[in-house]
Amino acid sequence: MTRTRTPGISRRSTLALMGAGAMSVAAPWVARAQAKTVKIGMPTILSGRVAQLGTSSRNAVMLEVDKVNAAGGLAGRQIEMVVRDSKGAPQEAARVARELVNTDGCELLLDGEASSGSFAVHEVARDLGVLCIHTNSEASSLTADPKQHIPNAFRCVRQGIHDSIVGGSYAAGIAKAKGLKKWATCSPDYAYGRDTTGEFTLYLKRFAPDVEVISESWPKLFQPDYTEVVTKILQAKPQALYSCLWGGDLTSYIDQANIYAMFAQMEVFAVNMADYTALTVVKNLPKGIHSGNRYIKTYPSTPENAAWGDAYKAKYNEYPTNWSWQNATAVMFLAEAAKKANSTDGKKIAEVLAGLTIKCPFGADGTVTMRGDDHTLVGYAIGWGTTIPQEPYVPEVKAGDWKTIFELEAEWKKSKGYT
Amino acid sequence: MTELEAGRAQALLPVRSGAALQRYRDVLIALIAFAVLASLPMFTGSEALLDFVIRCSAYGLFATSLNLLVGYTGLTSFGHGMFFGLGAYSFGLIMQKLGVPIPVAFVATLAITAVIAAVIGAICVRLKDIYFAFVTLAFQMLIHSTILSWASFTGGDQGLRGGIPRPVFLGIDLANHVHLYVASCALLILGLLAMRQIAQSPFGYTLRMIRDNAARASFLGIDVWRAKLTVFVLAALFASMGGMVMALFVSGAYPEFAYWTISGEGIFINMLGGVSTFLGPMVGTVLLLLLNDTVTRFTEYHGIVLGVVILFFALGLRKGLLDFVAEWYTHRRDAGEGR
Amino acid sequence: MDLDALTGCLTSSACLVTQTTSGLIIGMLLFLVAVGLTLIFGVLKIVNFSHGAFYMFGAYFAMTTYHLTESFALAMLAGAAGTAILGLIFERVFMSRVYGADVLMQLLVCYAFVLIFDDVVRLIWGPEFKSMGMPAAFQVMPLFIAGGVVPPYYLLLIGVALVAAIVLGIGLSRSRIGKVIRAAAHNPGMVSALGINTGLIYGGVFALGGMLAGLAGALAAPVRSLTPGMGFSVLIESFIVTVIGGMGSIVGALVGALLIGLIRSFGSLGFPLFTEGLMYLFMVIVLVSKPTGLFGKEAA
Repeated sequence: MTRTRTPGISRRSTLALMGAGAMSVAAPWVARAQAKTVKIGMPTILSGRVAQLGTSSRNAVMLEVDKVNAAGGLAGRQIEMVVRDSKGAPQEAARVARELVNTDGCELLLDGEASSGSFAVHEVARDLGVLCIHTNSEASSLTADPKQHIPNAFRCVRQGIHDSIVGGSYAAGIAKAKGLKKWATCSPDYAYGRDTTGEFTLYLKRFAPDVEVISESWPKLFQPDYTEVVTKILQAKPQALYSCLWGGDLTSYIDQANIYAMFAQMEVFAVNMADYTALTVVKNLPKGIHSGNRYIKTYPSTPENAAWGDAYKAKYNEYPTNWSWQNATAVMFLAEAAKKANSTDGKKIAEVLAGLTIKCPFGADGTVTMRGDDHTLVGYAIGWGTTIPQEPYVPEVKAGDWKTIFELEAEWKKSKGYT
Repeated sequence: MTELEAGRAQALLPVRSGAALQRYRDVLIALIAFAVLASLPMFTGSEALLDFVIRCSAYGLFATSLNLLVGYTGLTSFGHGMFFGLGAYSFGLIMQKLGVPIPVAFVATLAITAVIAAVIGAICVRLKDIYFAFVTLAFQMLIHSTILSWASFTGGDQGLRGGIPRPVFLGIDLANHVHLYVASCALLILGLLAMRQIAQSPFGYTLRMIRDNAARASFLGIDVWRAKLTVFVLAALFASMGGMVMALFVSGAYPEFAYWTISGEGIFINMLGGVSTFLGPMVGTVLLLLLNDTVTRFTEYHGIVLGVVILFFALGLRKGLLDFVAEWYTHRRDAGEGR
Repeated sequence: MDLDALTGCLTSSACLVTQTTSGLIIGMLLFLVAVGLTLIFGVLKIVNFSHGAFYMFGAYFAMTTYHLTESFALAMLAGAAGTAILGLIFERVFMSRVYGADVLMQLLVCYAFVLIFDDVVRLIWGPEFKSMGMPAAFQVMPLFIAGGVVPPYYLLLIGVALVAAIVLGIGLSRSRIGKVIRAAAHNPGMVSALGINTGLIYGGVFALGGMLAGLAGALAAPVRSLTPGMGFSVLIESFIVTVIGGMGSIVGALVGALLIGLIRSFGSLGFPLFTEGLMYLFMVIVLVSKPTGLFGKEAA
C-alpha cells in the first residue's frame, strides 16, 4: 500500500516526526506517520558468506541516492534509505520487508535479496501491494513466469538467459575456429547454476551443432574443496570447459585448478570471471579465460561508465561489483519514473516504469529499458572477451546483439510455457 | 494410551483429582491468554506487532515441542528442524498442487509428518546422548539435501514459488492479515495446551523417569523405546504445526526451513528461556525474536551482540531465564519460610 | 547417477591414481581439523562447535603474514602458532567455566563464539572474500604418476598431515606427557590428586587442537578463498568424520577422514548430484550399526 501526501507540513506530522526517533527505540511496532522524506526500504544480505553482495549493493544505492537528493529528491521529496540485513534467510527477508513497510513507513522497496530470499520478498510485495524493484536476483522465473507476475514488482538485474544466448554464440564462434568439439561443464548445484548452464549449452549447440558435452560436474554452493571436480574434468579430457561458478567459489576453483595446470589443457569459458570481485582477488589469474562482462569500467567504453566506476572507487576505495551497477540502475529508474509521474506514489511510478527507457552508463547504447510486458531489464551492456592478469583485465569485449537476444529469448519463453 | 501407561495411571489415582483441578486451571489460563491475544487487533493497528505474534506462534510451537524431547525426555535432538521444514513443505505442496480446503491440508500434513517421524524416530531413539543428537542431525541434513536435489518437485533452492493459495473456509480467510493472526494464536494456544496435557499426564511422568534413569524405568516394566518413539512423533507433530504457521506467514516454503540452523535456533531458544519449566521455551522465543528484531535494526554486526548475550546467559546466569527466575523465587520463598 | 563413469574409472590406472590422491588430499586436510575436534572431545569431553573458527583464523593469519613477509614458512607458522594461542586463551578464559555443565550449555558457549569470531573476522578483514595466492615455489607443473596427475603442493600437504598424525599417535602412546593426557582423559580426579595441573593439560590440549585446525586453514589458504564463515562447511564435514571414526579416537579420525575423501572423489564420478547426500547416508548407516563409530570405545 502506498500513501499519498498533501504538500506542506502540518503540525501533526511535525510532532510525529519529532516523536518518531524515540518511538522507533521504545516501541518498534508503532507505525510512524508519513514524513516529508520518502523512505525506501531495502532488505539485503549484509552478514555471512555473501555479505559483499549487500555491502556493494548498498554502496551503489547510496552513491545514486546522494545524487538524486542533491538534485532535489524524488519528485521533490528527499530519499531516506533504510537498509536492513536479512542474513540471507527467506523468513527473515519476508519479516524485514514487512517491517520496513509496516513499521518504518517505507513507501518503496528495493529488494537486494538473492535466490530464495527474493521470492519471499516478492510474496510480500504481492501481499502489501508496495512497489518493489528486485536488484540482485537473477532467477529467470521471477519475471519470465506469468504466474509470478504482479503489476507492482520489477526486476533490474541481468539475466542468465541473456548471458547464455550471447555466451553461446560467442563460444560457438571460437569452437568452430579452434575445432573445440568436446566440452565439459562445472557449475554450482542450484537453480541459477543449472538453468544458466543448460541454456548455455543449448545455444552453444545451436550455433555449433557438432559440439558435444562429455562431462558435467555440480559442486555445491560454497563448497570449499573442488579437487575431486577438477580431477574428474581432467580425466574426461575435454577441449573446452564452461563454468558459471561465481565469487569466492570461482576463485577457489581457479586456484585449485591452476595447480593441476588445467588452464593450459583446455579453453575455459567462465561467465562470471570478469567481475572485479574475482579479477582483483585471484593472485595468479591465468591468461585468456573467456568471460562475460559483469561490471567493468572499460565496457561499455564510454566516459560516463568510466566516470561512474571511478566515482565509486573514490568513495569506497574498492571497485564496484556486478551487484553495484544493478542497484545503481534501479535508483536511476526510480528517479526518472518519479520525475515523469511527478509523484512518489508507487502505483503511478509503476505505470511509468513499465516500458520506460532511461539514459544509463551501463546501457549497450547508452540507454537501458524496463521492458513493459515482463517488467525486466533489457538493453544493458552485454558481451564476452578474454582476460589478462592486470588492468584493464578484459581489454576487448565483443558486444552481444540485443536483436538476437530478443528473438531467442522469445523462443525460449515459448518452450518454457511462459507465453 | 498403552496398557502400561494405563497401569501407571491407575497407580497414580490418588493424585487424580489434583491433576483434574490443574487441568481446569490450564484450560482457563489458555482461554484467557487466547482472549487477550485475539482482542489485540482491536486496540492496535500495528501490523508489525501482529507479525511478531505470528512468528512467535511458529517458533513457539516448534521450540516448546523440542522441549518435550530435550527437557522432559532428555533426548537432545539436533535435527528437530526437519519436521518444521517438513510441515511447511507438505502443507505448501498440498495447497499448491491439490487445492484442497485448508483444514484437509492441515490434517494431511500432520499425517505425513507422523509417518515420516515414526520411521526416522524408530531408527534414532535406539541411540543415546550425543549419538542421538548426531543421528538426528544427519537425518536433517539428508532431508535438506533431498529438498535441494529434488528440484522438480520442491523447487530446489528457490523454494515453493508463486505463493500458497488460501481459499476461505468456514468464513475464515487466511489471506486476511487479522484472520491469519487469530488463527495463528489459536493454533499456538491449542498446541501449548495439548503439550501441557502431555507433559502433565502419566505418560509425561514416564518420560521424566526415562530422562532421570532409563534403566530404572526399564526395570519397572516400561517399554523405553516405545515411549521415546511416541514422544518423538508427538513432538514432530507440533513442530510441523509451527512449520505450517511459518509457511502461511511467508506464503511459501524454503529449504532454509529444513536446514540445521532452525534446529540450532530451537535449542538456543530452549537454553535462553529454560528447559525445566513448561513455558520456558515460549519465554525464550519471545526473547530471541525481540533480540533479533531490535539488534538487526541497529547493526549488521549482530553476531557479536547476540554472542555476548548468549555468553551472559551461559556463563552469567548458567541457565535459562525462566529457570533462573523460578529458582530465585523458590530460594526467596524458602528463605522467607525459614525466618 | 552415472555408474558407467565410476566403473570406467575403476578400470583405468590413470583415473584410479588421480581420484585416489584427490581423495587423500581432501581427507588429509579434513583429518587435521577433525583430529583436533576428536582430541578435545576425548580429553575434555567437550564438543567444540567453534572448531571451524580456528580453521578460519589459521587461514587469515597465514594470508596476512604471507602478504607482509612473502614467506610461505612464516605464514604456516603464524597460522599454527596464532591459533594455538587463541585456543589456549579461549579454553582458559571461557570454556574452563563450563566444564561439568550441561552439554547444551557448552554448545551454547561455542555457538556464541562462532557468531562473535565470524563478525570479528568481518570487522578486521572485511566482508569480501580474499585469496592468499600460491607461492612461486609451488607454481610448477604437476607430477605424473602411473598416468595420474598429482600437484607437488598437495604432496606437501599430505606429507604435513601424515607427519602430524604420526607425531600425535606416537606422542600420545609413548611419551610421558601423552600418558598424562590419556590419564587425564580417563580419570581427571586421580591425575589432579597426583599433583598434576589438569588446567594446564586441558589448556594444552585445546591449544593443540586449535593449532592443528589453524595449520589446516593455513595449508588450505593458497587454494581456497577466505571469507568470514569459511570454517562452517569444514566444521560440518569434520563432525561427520569424527562421528564415523568414533569420538575421541585419533585412528578413527584418520580412517573417517580418508573414507569421506574417497567417498567424495569417487562419489562425484558415480553420483554427481548426490555426493553430499552420500556422506550423510554413510554417517547414518555407521551410527545405526555402531553408534560409537568405527573406532570408538563403548561409553563408560
